[in-house]
Amino acid sequence: MSTESAKTEDDLREEVTNFLRRNFPQIQMHGGSAAITNLDVESGSVSLQLGGACSGCGISPMTIQAIKTRMTKEIPEITQVHADTGMGGGGGMGGTSPSFPGESRGGDLDSDDDEGPKAPF
Amino acid sequence: MTEFDPERFEDKYVHYMTELQEAYKRAFDVMNEEYDSTLVHAIDQQILNESEPFYRDGEFRIELPPNPHDRVHGVVVEPDRLDAVLDRYVEELRAQLRRVFGLEER
Repeated sequence: MSTESAKTEDDLREEVTNFLRRNFPQIQMHGGSAAITNLDVESGSVSLQLGGACSGCGISPMTIQAIKTRMTKEIPEITQVHADTGMGGGGGMGGTSPSFPGESRGGDLDSDDDEGPKAPF
Repeated sequence: MTEFDPERFEDKYVHYMTELQEAYKRAFDVMNEEYDSTLVHAIDQQILNESEPFYRDGEFRIELPPNPHDRVHGVVVEPDRLDAVLDRYVEELRAQLRRVFGLEER
């Protein structure tokens, strides 16, 4: 209710976005994307959609767990993280989402030559 | 080869992210070669997305979410078949973790 001392949704959204950028650059490096689909400041719940190459890459399950574990530790306002790759609902795999909304995202990625869900191992 | 430190593995998502990614990716590729890709993807995305690797008493263990059968949809599979492929997947993950960290049984 009170908006005086608490972070606003925009603040928190930005914090989550920055957290992902800082700690999980591999999502974008591998041609994937992460978008915040829902953020509830009051309950501290955030929903993420991993899209693009993440939708079947073999790394995303572990990455999702890593995001959940670390985000709730490192962003105190976040108590619950829901994340899926668009396959969790039994639907298709094609759900691509814009990457990291909230900040300019053009130009820093060169994913045109990415061959898809391959990790550089 | 990454030197393995069980204590650091407790904070694995901070210290060993790259190694975990490599192990998971390799396991996924092996499974995808050997088994039906749709089923492997379903296990990957719908069961393993709530799993977590632990290291205790000298070996890796993959903790799976409760009722893994209930989590799988979008693919038709006999329960026995799902169990078999899931078991195989977990074993492959454990093997790849041992491999990435140089803890392979000799």
